[in-house]
Amino acid sequence: MKKYKEFLITSDPFNPDLISGVMWESNISGINEEVNCIKVFSDDLSLSLEELKARLQKLKNESLLRNFTIEENILENRNWNKEWEESINVIEVSDKIVIKPTFREYNPKPGQIVLIIDPKMSFGTGEHQTTRLVLLLLDKYMLKGARVLDVGSGTGILAIASVKLGARNAVAIDIDEWCYGNAIENSALNDVNNSVDIRRGEIKDINETGFDLVLANIQKNILIEIAEEIYTRLKPGGLVILSGLLNDDEAEIKYHYKGLGLSFLETKILEPWIALVFQK
Amino acid sequence: MAKKITGYVKLQIPAGKANPSPPVGPALGQKGVNIMEFCKQFNARTNDKDGIITPVMITVYSDKSFTFIIKTPPAAVLLKKAAKTEKGSAEPHRNKVAKVSQSQVKEIAQAKMPDLNAFDIEHAMSMIAGTARSMGITVED
Repeated sequence: MKKYKEFLITSDPFNPDLISGVMWESNISGINEEVNCIKVFSDDLSLSLEELKARLQKLKNESLLRNFTIEENILENRNWNKEWEESINVIEVSDKIVIKPTFREYNPKPGQIVLIIDPKMSFGTGEHQTTRLVLLLLDKYMLKGARVLDVGSGTGILAIASVKLGARNAVAIDIDEWCYGNAIENSALNDVNNSVDIRRGEIKDINETGFDLVLANIQKNILIEIAEEIYTRLKPGGLVILSGLLNDDEAEIKYHYKGLGLSFLETKILEPWIALVFQK
Repeated sequence: MAKKITGYVKLQIPAGKANPSPPVGPALGQKGVNIMEFCKQFNARTNDKDGIITPVMITVYSDKSFTFIIKTPPAAVLLKKAAKTEKGSAEPHRNKVAKVSQSQVKEIAQAKMPDLNAFDIEHAMSMIAGTARSMGITVED
């Protein structure tokens, strides 16, 4: 299990802005400012208490602090989302698609597809508009027997849904360790582990081309960065569905994707989020 | 009826790069907030800011929903930006790595006034100048 260092700092006077700003000079990953202390986190286990202490001492030398304390703890990574997870309910995305966690019961109506997703710390529960937008577009555009690539797959929900909606198979790739393990669990829960190929990495690690459909629910800058990688993996006539975008992102995304020679087909909106569909 | 506020969480993370590991995971997880939803929204709203250190204040409501506001980066981060330097000095008294002008110090002090426990603008400016010196950034007269 991945470990983190947590440094607890108090000071007199307590001036979190000054202290935290100086902490970013070291290799840290983030700060949580509490009422009377700040917690500094780092995934660099070689970061020492002495290094941060020296930075605080420099502020003291400038008379910005009279006193300070600092202590160090080791934190193990775990499913921090557990408490929220327990509040997840059944989500009816449309008349046809329903999402539920394992611990909720649901009796599907004839023709309904039920996706079983336990998200842990991965993205993609169907609670979020960006996931719902892609699911609705998948239902509209899915071709029987399609080969699908899901980039930044999170829980694996979109790849799993693709297969349940008629795709021959789906490759799901995510850079995150949690997502990789979680997508494997979810594809087993949905009994599609033979058709969903889950990998850890980036789109550039995908050697196959000729996909009928590429899905990417990420964020604007990354979608622009990987536009060409997506393009080269699509077969002529293939579709790409992009999500994780806000209203304001539409023009920029269109500029880049149309610039590659893709035709724009549709924008679907669930305020303030949008998803865009293009065709090669 | 307005939703009841159950707590606030103050974090600092690089723009566009929120992920569920600490500090985001433990801080929001214990309040029952959907961590991944926060990451998605935060990254979408800040991904144009080139990874700058971004303080964010999250308000958590009784139904576990949340809103957040983005605040000004910490003074030390603004100082490095003004001085066009990536890093401060390990030996601030011997090795000076960059310079800022008095007017830049004043500008940062004004922007940071709400976040510093300063009595007035002069006090805030002396705090910013002291921070600069502690990082090996010279304040020019």
